[in-house]
Amino acid sequence: MDDSQTSIMILDDEPIVGKRLQPSLEKKGYEVEAFTSSKAALKRIEERSFDIVVTDLKMEGMDGMEFLTLVKEKYPDTEVIVITGFATMATARESFNKGAFDFLAKPFKLGEIVEVIGRAEAKRINHRQA
Amino acid sequence: MSVLDWIRRLFGSKKKEIIPFKILFAEFKKSLELNNQILDLIADANDKLSGDYIFDQRYIQYTCRKLADLVRQLIVTINHLTDQKYAALYYSFHGIEEDIETLLRGKILGQVKDYILPYAGISRALTDSVGGKNAHLAEIGNLLDHRIPDGFAITTEGFNLFLDENNIREKILAIGKSRHRNEIPVDEASRRIQHAVMEAEVPHKLRLEILTAAKKLCRRHKETKTTPCFAVRSSALGEDEISSFAGQYLSRLNIPINDISQAYKEVLASLYSPEAMEYRLLMDFRPHEIMMAVACQLMIPAKVSGVLYTYDPVRPQNETMIVNSAWGLGEPIVAGEVPTDHFVLDRRSPHEIREELIVHKTTTMVLRGCGGTGIDGVQEDLCLQSSLTAKQLRELAEIGMQLEKYFKRPQDIEFAIDRQDRVIVLQSRQLRLQQKRMPRACDLSDLKEKYPVLIGGRGISAMEGIAIGPAWVFSEDRNLNDFPMGGILVACHATPQLARVIHEAAGFVTDVGSTTGHLATVAREFRVPALFKTENATEVIADGEEITLDTECLTVYKGAIQELQYYAIQEEPIEEMYEYRLLRRVLKKIEPLNLIDPTAENFTPEGCRTYHDLTRFVHEKAVETIIDLNFYHAHHRDTQAGKLLWDFPLDLILIDVGGGIDGSHSQGVRPEQVTSVPMRAILDGMSYPGIWNMAPAGVDFSSFMSSLTRTTSVRSTSPEDVGRNLAVVSAEYTNINFRLGYHFTVIDAFVSDNILDNHIYFRFSGGVTETVRRSRRTRLLAKILSHYDFLCEVYGDVVVARLKKTNRERMMKRLFLLGLLVGFTRQLDVEMVSEETIDIFFNKIRIIMEQKYG
Repeated sequence: MDDSQTSIMILDDEPIVGKRLQPSLEKKGYEVEAFTSSKAALKRIEERSFDIVVTDLKMEGMDGMEFLTLVKEKYPDTEVIVITGFATMATARESFNKGAFDFLAKPFKLGEIVEVIGRAEAKRINHRQA
Repeated sequence: MSVLDWIRRLFGSKKKEIIPFKILFAEFKKSLELNNQILDLIADANDKLSGDYIFDQRYIQYTCRKLADLVRQLIVTINHLTDQKYAALYYSFHGIEEDIETLLRGKILGQVKDYILPYAGISRALTDSVGGKNAHLAEIGNLLDHRIPDGFAITTEGFNLFLDENNIREKILAIGKSRHRNEIPVDEASRRIQHAVMEAEVPHKLRLEILTAAKKLCRRHKETKTTPCFAVRSSALGEDEISSFAGQYLSRLNIPINDISQAYKEVLASLYSPEAMEYRLLMDFRPHEIMMAVACQLMIPAKVSGVLYTYDPVRPQNETMIVNSAWGLGEPIVAGEVPTDHFVLDRRSPHEIREELIVHKTTTMVLRGCGGTGIDGVQEDLCLQSSLTAKQLRELAEIGMQLEKYFKRPQDIEFAIDRQDRVIVLQSRQLRLQQKRMPRACDLSDLKEKYPVLIGGRGISAMEGIAIGPAWVFSEDRNLNDFPMGGILVACHATPQLARVIHEAAGFVTDVGSTTGHLATVAREFRVPALFKTENATEVIADGEEITLDTECLTVYKGAIQELQYYAIQEEPIEEMYEYRLLRRVLKKIEPLNLIDPTAENFTPEGCRTYHDLTRFVHEKAVETIIDLNFYHAHHRDTQAGKLLWDFPLDLILIDVGGGIDGSHSQGVRPEQVTSVPMRAILDGMSYPGIWNMAPAGVDFSSFMSSLTRTTSVRSTSPEDVGRNLAVVSAEYTNINFRLGYHFTVIDAFVSDNILDNHIYFRFSGGVTETVRRSRRTRLLAKILSHYDFLCEVYGDVVVARLKKTNRERMMKRLFLLGLLVGFTRQLDVEMVSEETIDIFFNKIRIIMEQKYG
């Protein structure tokens, strides 16, 4: 693994999200792993850390909020970006309270998530330098 | 009593009450509002196909349900306005809604009800009915004008009939499910399903239609001395898009006319081969997507057959094409059973032969009369002779490049050379390149440092993708007919007229443009990468220079960046993802507009086949209702009606519904009293000095106007005669219905400071001369309107143009233009004696517009 490369995990139970995001983010120089099952993603989180996690809120099996909580517990430095098709202010606020970096409503443009990821990345770098 | 009558009676009991005009007009405005919301939502959904968005199935469901809700409200509104006159719209609506819900559940609806479709009537829009192989081949013949075998498709509707009449659908689904749950091995599942298919009968109706279509083909090709035989080939859904399916399904060759039905069954059965079943599981095919259309083609007695790859799949960076060929029919060549001559050609014109390997060819597959094939020895002097001439190779290479540019992907093409030495395309599908040699996406992050960037990070992507080609910078003095195949069109505005080169263009780049415009929609339909709103593309890109367009990164590079090209051709095309397939399918029930001409027979509630049709129908009827109500119910006290008094003797009645006319108008309305913003601009155009002088000599304005203004009193004449010269106006709104001579014009316009509310709708029809001149006039109007950014549809004699979401100043300019056209076009079809007149009149209008607006 290249140390300078920012690593991103994508978790969404609809396969199209990972399928579309992964190549686009890789093209921009990120190291990306995509998951459709929260179980598999959790297992992977046990094995290694990611700089940034992008997760859906409403999924079969495990709630995205729960996943967010678990990730932040294990890796407080990991920035979590929440994406969901059921955008309401309440869920947005809740995910912020649980430590989410930002919140994006589906459908979103590739450019929008790239911008949010860029900000999360900048925050991590600032944090490290501080 | 029918349900319809019952509904009418239920709602019709309050009929006698006169509803104040302002309330009706508010209701009318609500219908316009809903109309716009619906059209916007449709455009947004189409925008999602650009590949620039991440969306999921939930989004598709949400959009469909939201649209259904709005359309339902719209139907309620028109029925309020018209006293339940259009209750039948609910039936059409429910039918469409039900179809969409069916699609959302994962089922596929054929786009046609026909069991048979001749190639001449097939385009890729019918892919879900005829399968990719048929659709591609038909387009190659119909649109690109290459030789293909004549034939017809047996549609998925035919397939469904076969399953349903034989009652085997549930059985097949059940066996499939057992296989998914791993209860039975795939071989067993395959064997059982294939047995069921082969035991079944081709339904009588279908058998008859196949026979009729085949006989018709035979009659069309009387030149063949012997009775023609047929090739019966698979054209399953999804088969052509994914080349790994290649060879998994059956083709039956040289079939006599009476055996086609049996061959049809065998081809259907091959849909359930163990390999195909496993592969579909892997590709996330839903059970309802598993359908087989079939191609039935006249058999080509091939002298030579072969396969052309437009890239070397193992070494794409060599920039070569590969051809393998041998004598006789293609089957053993495609199956790799016989040695073939091997040619490596340059991808670049003139496609020089880089390598040539002529093998010893000893056997050849030939037709045996009608009904079979056999293997013969090759004539001795031909064994070592090249099966293709240099000329044929060059022709093949050119066809290959053209097909690649047209389908936007490397192609794997099967071809035959017939007895007259002509190249016939038998099949063309996407060629998959070997992925391990391809650059990975993450290797591309430093391209911007390595190559000169002309545009970086500016603009919006209307269609995702990568294109390489020569830039062709469009300007007023250039003719779009000269646009080169494979060029990248660079233009100032993303105007609808540019869509004309959609089949030739590799990409579009514009300074100005929106992702919801017409050009964007067409770019997505044909998957042509498009980057709009770059601000200065026409300045920084030089005409003729080779450029690379990467819309995802909003970047244009100078030169051909091969790494990007290789990346693009190995990336999974977004259209192969289930969600894209689903969105495309539901949009087919939402977006197409079939009701174009309000005078056409199908312009009825029953004729509405999409949400767009319903929306259009309601809009038309709402406009009509408002006008009629003011003539038939002229006693409305809350509207003011008055006749326009001006120099031109035009009987125009203005109905002011609020703020459209200043002061008293009991004696008529003077032009300066008109305060309605859109109406003013139209009147300015109509009375522009000199516009009438453009009419042909000998017919001066007053004499021609008098011919249509002989009426005396508006109120005393029937609406049919004069009621059409009517304008409903308010401060920001105008709705005009003009009947000038034989021409019928409708303008509906709303102009305010809120760009989103602004719209112009223009419809023009009628004329007195023969078709050719009328068609010239129609083309002239379309040319002028497209030039001034209208979204223009031409349907026979009718021109419909729309403009939305444009700022006040630009709207005014265009309303002025419509004013010019209204006055001017009356005589046009008389004047349009030659093709050149189109350009002459076009330029005259442009000069006036320039004089007025600079």
